[in-house]
Amino acid sequence: MTYLRRLPKFEYVGPRTLTEVCSLISGGAPDDAMLLAGGTDAILQMRRRERVPRRVIGLKGVAELDFVREQADGGLSIGAMTTLHSLLSAPAIRQRYAILHETAAQIGGPELRNIATIGGNIAGALPCADLPPALMTLDAQIKLSSHRGERWMPLRDFFPEFGRTVAQDDELLSEIKLPRPAPYSAGTYLKFHDRQSMDMTVVGVGAFVVLDDDGRTVRELRLAYANGAPTVFRAMKAEAVLCGQLFGEKVLDAVAEAACSESSPRTSWRANAGYRLSLIRALTKRAIRRSWQSASSQKGTK
Amino acid sequence: MSAEIRHEFQVIGKPTPKKDAPLKAAGRAEFADDINMAGMLHGKLLRSPHPHARILSIDASRAAALPGVRAVITGKDFPGVRYGNLPRTRDYLPLAIDTVRYIGEEVAAVAAIDEDTAEEALDLVQVEYEVLPAVFDPEEAMKPGAPQLHAPAPGNISAHTESEFGNVEAAFAEAAYIREDMFETHAVKQGMLEPHACVGVWDSFGKATLWSCKMSPYTVWRQLAMGLDMKPGDIRVVQTYVGGGFSGGKQEAMPMDFCALMLSKKTGRPVKFVHTMEEVLTIGHLRHPMKIWLRTGTTKDGRIVAQHCKLLANGGAYSSIGGFSIFLAGAMLNLPYRVPNMRFESNRVYTNNGFCGALRGHTVVQMCFARDSQLELIAADLGIDPLEIRHRNAIQEGDVTANGFRIGTFAFDECIKRVAEMSGWHEKRGKLPKYRGIGFGCGAHLSGARLMGHSASAAEIRMLEDGTVHLTTGSTDVGQGVETVMSMIAAEVLGIEVDDVTYLKVDSAATPLDPGTFGSRVTLFTGNAVKQAAEEVCRQLAEIAGERMGVDPQDLIFRRREIVNHKDEKQRVSLKEIVRWGMFQQGKVISGRGTYGASEEKIDFRTGQGNLSPAYNPTACAVEVEVDPETGRVTMVGLWGADDSGTPLNPLAVKGQVIGAAVMSIGHALWENLIRIDGKVMNPSLRDYKMPQATDLPKLANFEHSNVITWEPEGPFGAKEAGQGAGTGVVAAIANAIHDATGVRLTRLPFTPESILAGIEELKEKEAVTES
Ligand SMILES: Cc1cc2nc3c(=O)[nH]c(=O)nc-3n(C[C@H](O)[C@H](O)[C@H](O)COP(=O)(O)OP(=O)(O)OC[C@H]3O[C@@H](n4cnc5c(N)ncnc54)[C@H](O)[C@@H]3O)c2cc1C
Repeated sequence: MTYLRRLPKFEYVGPRTLTEVCSLISGGAPDDAMLLAGGTDAILQMRRRERVPRRVIGLKGVAELDFVREQADGGLSIGAMTTLHSLLSAPAIRQRYAILHETAAQIGGPELRNIATIGGNIAGALPCADLPPALMTLDAQIKLSSHRGERWMPLRDFFPEFGRTVAQDDELLSEIKLPRPAPYSAGTYLKFHDRQSMDMTVVGVGAFVVLDDDGRTVRELRLAYANGAPTVFRAMKAEAVLCGQLFGEKVLDAVAEAACSESSPRTSWRANAGYRLSLIRALTKRAIRRSWQSASSQKGTK
Repeated sequence: MSAEIRHEFQVIGKPTPKKDAPLKAAGRAEFADDINMAGMLHGKLLRSPHPHARILSIDASRAAALPGVRAVITGKDFPGVRYGNLPRTRDYLPLAIDTVRYIGEEVAAVAAIDEDTAEEALDLVQVEYEVLPAVFDPEEAMKPGAPQLHAPAPGNISAHTESEFGNVEAAFAEAAYIREDMFETHAVKQGMLEPHACVGVWDSFGKATLWSCKMSPYTVWRQLAMGLDMKPGDIRVVQTYVGGGFSGGKQEAMPMDFCALMLSKKTGRPVKFVHTMEEVLTIGHLRHPMKIWLRTGTTKDGRIVAQHCKLLANGGAYSSIGGFSIFLAGAMLNLPYRVPNMRFESNRVYTNNGFCGALRGHTVVQMCFARDSQLELIAADLGIDPLEIRHRNAIQEGDVTANGFRIGTFAFDECIKRVAEMSGWHEKRGKLPKYRGIGFGCGAHLSGARLMGHSASAAEIRMLEDGTVHLTTGSTDVGQGVETVMSMIAAEVLGIEVDDVTYLKVDSAATPLDPGTFGSRVTLFTGNAVKQAAEEVCRQLAEIAGERMGVDPQDLIFRRREIVNHKDEKQRVSLKEIVRWGMFQQGKVISGRGTYGASEEKIDFRTGQGNLSPAYNPTACAVEVEVDPETGRVTMVGLWGADDSGTPLNPLAVKGQVIGAAVMSIGHALWENLIRIDGKVMNPSLRDYKMPQATDLPKLANFEHSNVITWEPEGPFGAKEAGQGAGTGVVAAIANAIHDATGVRLTRLPFTPESILAGIEELKEKEAVTES
C-alpha cells in the first residue's frame, strides 16, 4: 500500500542565485536532481516514493525569483517563486488581472497558499492545476532559464503530455509574463469541486473575453481547461466559434459543443469522463456569460 | 415539595461552557501523542499490501539489525488468542499470524529510537505471501465457491439476525397499499482529528500499563487481557484526553495497543505508537455500507400495518461490533413510527475490505435514511401530506412497540410541529422556486442500550477537606462534554459550584468499572450513578451537620456551598466547616457511591424481544437545499431540527451536540465517501476524504434547533440522550429536499453532483418523450 513514508535520503542544496541554480542543473539527469519550490507537491511525491532524487535543489533562497513587477509596457511580470499568498496580496493582480486573483484564492487553504508557488503550480504539469488555465486565458508567456541562456514561450505550448513539460532537464521555469489587458476585457475561472473548500478540481474552466469598441461584438475569446484533457489546454477551435460574433445564447451552445469535442477528460475515482464533459458544457457557457457581462459593463464606465 | 420536583435548579439547565475548553483552546491538553517518557521508543506497524494472502514466512533479521532498532515482533510473539467484542465474533489478533484479510492489516511491528528509523526498519522486514483470491462485494462473497475469509463462518456470514413480531404475512395480505424499495449506503469514516495514539509500559513486575485516547477504557482493558492471555488485574489502562471519538478504534484494543505493550516487554522501555491519518483512513472501523430492502404495507390513509426489511451489510474483514450493528438496525425498525407487524432479516458479510463497526448514530442512520425516504414516497403515492403521514404513524408516550420497547417520554408530534414552524414548511413546500427544495426527515435514538454482558454504570465521589470533590466514573469525555455535565449533576446535588468538582479521567486501577462511552448512554446511565453518589455524600454530610447543628438531618438542604435547615433558613453552616469537622474530629471518610442500570431487565438478542433502552428520543428535521441544475451540485440553505432530549442539563453542550450530529450527517450524505477499489482505499487523506469544513456550510451559521422539553423519569433530572439522535433524520431530509428541488429520487448514498445531474437529465429525457 502506498503510505506517506518518511522522506527518502537526499542531499540538499540551497543556492542563492539563478545562475547557481542553472549551473547545479546543467548536467542533471531527470531523476537525479529535483527542484523544490513550496514543496506542497514535491514533498508528497517523495514521501510516496514516486520520486527519489539524489539531490534536492531548494529554490526558497533565490530571492530574485520572488517578485511581482509591473512592466513599462503595461504588462506584469511574476517570478516563479512567488507564493500564492503574494499573488493575492499584489494590488496589480487584484485590480488588473482579477481572474488570476480569483483563481489563486480558490487553491487549497491559507496554509497551503502561504508556501505553494506559482512556478510549482505550473511546472508540476498536473492536469488539475488551477493557475495554468487562468494564465493561459491571459495569454501568459513563460521564461525558461538554463546555463545555456533563456528562452520565452507561450504557456499554452508548455505541456506536451500528461505530467510533462517541454522544459529540458537543465532548464527551470523562472518567470511568467502577462501582457497588458485589452480594454473592455474580462475573464473568470470556474473551479468545480464537490466540497466548497480545500478540494481538488474536478473540472476547471477559464474564459477571457475581449470586446470590440462597440462593446457587443466579441473580438477575442480565450478558453482553457483544467482536467478537460490529460494536460491543461486552450480550446482554440471553440474560441474561434465566438470570435467576431455578437454574444448570444445560440452561439454559446455552439462554443460549448466545440469545447466538448476538443476535450478528452478521463474517468477516475474522482469523476467519470461523461460527467466531466457535462461540466465542461455547462461551465464554458457560464464562464463566457459571466466574462462577457463584466467586460460589457466596463463599456459604460470608460 | 422539594426543589427537584419543582424543577428549580442552581446549576442544571444553565448553559455552561465546557470545563476543558480553555485548556484545549490554549493547546495545553495532554493527548497521548504529547506523552514523553525517559527512554521512550517509537513504534511502527508493517501492513499487508494484499487484500487476501497467506503469510508463508517473515524474516525480520535485517530489520532487527538496523542501527537504532530495539525490537521487531510478529504475530507469533503473541499467544494466538483471538479477541473481540461479542463472544461469538472474536476474530481479531494483535498481529496477523498466518493470513491477512485486507490491505492494511498489521503483520509486524518495530520499536526504534525514532519514527524514521522504525519506518526504515519496516522496509527491511521480508514477508513472503501467497496471494489468495479476494472478494469485495458482499453478494459475491455469499455465493458458493467464493473465497472464504474465516473458517468458522461458512459462506462468509459474519453475523445473522432474524426477528418477527406480529403477523407480517397476514398484515400484508390485508394492506390496502404496498411498496418495495431498495436503498444503498456507503463507507464513511469517523474522521476524528486526533489519530489513534498510545504509550505502553511493561514494568519489571510484569504489569502492563497503556496510556491511550480510549472512549471505553474498560472494554480495551478486557480485550488486552484476552489477546495477551493475561489476568485483567495485571493490566492497567489509563485514559488520556480524547481528541474526538465517534466510536471505532478508540472503542477497542487495536494492534498498536498490543504492540506497544509487547515491544515494551521486549525492550524494557516505554513504546509509543501514533497512527498517521492515512492509516486511520485505511484500517477500517467504518460505518457499514448496506443494501436495505424495505417492503411496507399501509392502510388507505397511510397508516403502516407491516414492514419487512432485508438488510445486507458489507462487514469487511473482521467483526468489530458488527453483530450488534445489524441487531440494532432491526431493533430500530420499531422507532419512531408505529409498526405493529414487522419482519427483519439481515446478514453481515465478511469481505476483503477494511472492517466496519460503530460510528455516531451507528446503524440507525442508514435505517432512518431508508425508512424516511420511503415514507415520503408512500405519502406521494397516497396523496397524503408528508407531515401528516408522519403524525399518523408517530409513536406516542406510553406505547409498547412490537418488540417490547416501553416508550416513556416521546414528544415526536411536537418535534414535527416545531420543525414545520421554524422552517416555514407550509409556506415553502411546493412553493419554492425551481431547483430549490425543502425536505423532512425523522429519526430516533436510544439513551444507552441494555446489553447482555456489562451494562451498569457506577460513580464515586470523594469529599476533600476544602469542600470540593473528586468525581470518578468509568465514562470518558470524548469532547462531547461529559466532564462538564457530570460535574453539573454532582454540583447540583451537593449545592456547590461546577468548578468545585474535579472529574478525573478513567484509570482502570482507580476508577469504577463501566462499559464506556458509546450508544448515548453516559448522561443517562452514568448521570444517574453520579446523582446517586452525590446524594449519598449529602446523606453522610447531613448526618454530621445534623449532629453538630442539633437539627434533624432530614431537614437539611445543600445550597451555595452551605448546609441549610429548610425549616429555619437562619440555621446554616458552611459545607467546608462540616467537612472539616467530620474529617478532623470524627475521622470520617466522606465518600459516596452510586450505580445505575444493574436491573435484571435484559433484551433477548436471539429474538430481539425486550426493552433495549431506559429511554427513547425522537427527532425531526427539515432541510432546505438549492441544486445547480447544470452541475448537480447541492448547496445547503437551511437546517431546522427539534429533538425531545428530555430536559437538557447543559443546553450549550446539547446545542453543540445536535449541530455536530447534523453536520456530520450532511457530510455523510453529500461529500464523505471512502472510495475502495479492489480493497484499496483511493482517498486516504483529509484532502480527498471530504469532511465538511466550517466554510462549506456558511449558510448554516443560523442553524435553528429546538428542544422539546419533557421530563424523562428514567433520566437524571429528566434528561435523555442528545448526541446521536439529531443526526439520524438528516440524510433522509436531504434526499427528500433534493427530490423536492429536482424531482430526482436518490436511493443510493452519497448524493453526488454526478448522480443528481444524471437524474435531472433522465427526467428531462422522459419529459421530452412524453411531450413529443
Ligand atoms: C491540501 C492540498 C490542496 C491542494 N489544492 C490545490 C488546488 O486547489 N489547486 C491546485 O492547482 N493545486 C492544489 N494542490 C497542489 C499543489 O500544492 C499546487 O499545485 C502548488 O501550487 C504547487 O506549488 P509548490 O511551490 O508547492 O511546488 P513544489 O511542490 O515545490 O513543486 C511541484 C513540482 O514542480 C517542480 N518545480 C517547482 N518549481 C519549479 C520551477 N521553477 N521550474 C521547474 N520546475 C519546478 C518541482 O520539481 C515539482 O516537480 C494542493 C495540494 C495540497 C497538498
